[in-house]
Amino acid sequence: MKFRQALLPLMVAVEFACFLPFSGTRFDSFVNFTRGLWGNLEAVLIHAAPLLVLALGMTVVLITAGIDLSAGSLTALVACVMSTFAEGPEFWYTAVPVGLLIAVLLGGFNGFLIAKMDIPPIIATLGTLFFYRGLCFVVLPGSTNSTVFNRVPAWGPLPEYTWFGEFPGAVILAAITLGLVGLWFSWSRWRREVLMLGGNRIAARYAGIPVDFRLLQVYTLMGLCAFLAAVMGTAREGSVNADWQQGLEMQVIVSVVLGGTRVDGGFGSVWGSVWGVLLVVVLDDGLRMIGQSELQPVLLGLLLLIGVKLNSGLLADWFSKPSQTQPAS
Amino acid sequence: MARSAHHGSTILSRMTPALRLRLGFLAIGNLLLVGYLFAYTLATPDTSFWTEVSQFPSGATPLLLAGLGLTGIVYAGAIDLSIGSIIVVCGTVFGILMERQASPVVCFVGCCLVAVLLSSFNGVLVRWSRIPAIIVTLGMLKFYRGFAVLLARWHDPEFSGQFTIPQTGAVSFRGPGVEWAMWILFAGVLLALAWECYGKQPRLWLAVGNSEEGCRLKGLNPDALRQSAFLAGGVFLGLAALVYVTKGLTIEPVRMATNFELQVIGAVVLGGTNIFGGEGSYLGTLLGGCLLYFIEKAILYASISADWQTAIQGMLILIVISLDCVLHRKHKRMEELR
Repeated sequence: MKFRQALLPLMVAVEFACFLPFSGTRFDSFVNFTRGLWGNLEAVLIHAAPLLVLALGMTVVLITAGIDLSAGSLTALVACVMSTFAEGPEFWYTAVPVGLLIAVLLGGFNGFLIAKMDIPPIIATLGTLFFYRGLCFVVLPGSTNSTVFNRVPAWGPLPEYTWFGEFPGAVILAAITLGLVGLWFSWSRWRREVLMLGGNRIAARYAGIPVDFRLLQVYTLMGLCAFLAAVMGTAREGSVNADWQQGLEMQVIVSVVLGGTRVDGGFGSVWGSVWGVLLVVVLDDGLRMIGQSELQPVLLGLLLLIGVKLNSGLLADWFSKPSQTQPAS
Repeated sequence: MARSAHHGSTILSRMTPALRLRLGFLAIGNLLLVGYLFAYTLATPDTSFWTEVSQFPSGATPLLLAGLGLTGIVYAGAIDLSIGSIIVVCGTVFGILMERQASPVVCFVGCCLVAVLLSSFNGVLVRWSRIPAIIVTLGMLKFYRGFAVLLARWHDPEFSGQFTIPQTGAVSFRGPGVEWAMWILFAGVLLALAWECYGKQPRLWLAVGNSEEGCRLKGLNPDALRQSAFLAGGVFLGLAALVYVTKGLTIEPVRMATNFELQVIGAVVLGGTNIFGGEGSYLGTLLGGCLLYFIEKAILYASISADWQTAIQGMLILIVISLDCVLHRKHKRMEELR
């Protein structure tokens, strides 16, 4: 695990350095280079902020041996619902609470399907992926319609909203979320119970852990993360439509798996997920810069398999296996 | 023992009472929906029930045949989420061969072969990587879709996003999807039911799905059996892809077969096949697939807005899967207590 913790930042740095020449950064002087480097870093962090928050929720979900394929659809649905509210100061106490409520309720609905109905998480969330996406088309009829989302100064009277999508607002929000939730998660008893759910659910039940309730909480947390990602994403892009954020869940899952979280549960690292997100975002931005964005799904699929195999102990003979009691860093 | 079990046995006699009850309900449900469609077309002047009947083969065949293929895989305790993506690759290969002036027969064979190869590749990956099938096929779902687009761009850097299927020729490129769909469906169904009744392989898949350890003790190789399920699934998927690709006028790799894998899973689970493996029926999958097809038609005729259709379909499939899992929940909890 220590090797993985050292390897990930190195991989991110190397990847960033490889794509930097294609980003328009000039190398003729230190000032120009620094300006270009900083600009790219800003762009990467702004792009990564919603993914970081989703990765936090997905890490906890994967630790319980679950998965949430509906993350992207849920994020889109929350954004679509919020976009139907009127612009103006009342947006903060109408659209935002409603968006939060919907995110939490639908996240809880996922948890209900998995905990109470005993549907395998991948099947339940595959179903809700299409259901929530279908609801996006109901909320915003016509897939090509784009609802402008209060982007200031061009369209709306909400200057504070765009702060969540720009630098440093998005990064600060993501950092606060990761910091607070990550710290609480690292030191709480709840974390140990969630780890046990993923490690051995039968033993967790016998140990008196309320398994169904914990699963409900985990997926509700994922819903909350989807709400924050919806706010950051719409604040950055300024518009939303029913097709928004298609394929987002795959990016998040690959990031978390690359960060060291096991898909069969029992172990996970929030810090590793952060580096996993940066790895995927730099790759995505880099492919777009070189005009090869069609490679993205191919590479994501391959990275998922490689990441899962690495986590399951392909390198177990060479490096020590991660301990189940190792704190999430 | 196996010979005497085969001798004189029928598909229905080997099913559990719960599964037979499920098939009964599905049959009644199908009849009711067909009755509704008949009544609606009778009452509406510009519709015809026989037009609906004639559209059934090309409309339902991909779902039914893909469902038959997935059923065998689910028997063995695995799953394939990349079905839709494999169809996309098949369509792309079909389009490329067509634009390179290959004969229709070569295009048909190429389309089917690609499905067999890719499904077998999934089986090989699952076996040798030791990663759960659900994760492998989730990764391949994205991989194959991206690969299809790359393949199209390799063939034509100026690829417009779709292949147009020509209408002329002695043997029509759209033959399988329009003219021969019924015969392909008939052949596939006959093969599946006969195999389930008289074949050994489906029983072995059920055995693996029930107890891998038991199979190992018996001297069977669960991993090889699971891999063979993927291979057989690929054969059915190849026929399904052929009909799916050739039933329309164009092939669009980016847009085609989205949501398809969920419909197929829904058909399989609705038909009584246990998503955890070890129990099920090809006949149930056929009835479940027909029910989903008729529900879609009923929604269309009920004048429900197109924007609601995706949400309703997703919800229906969720309900179906939820009911199935609730029914098996008690059994799972009893297993945990052992």
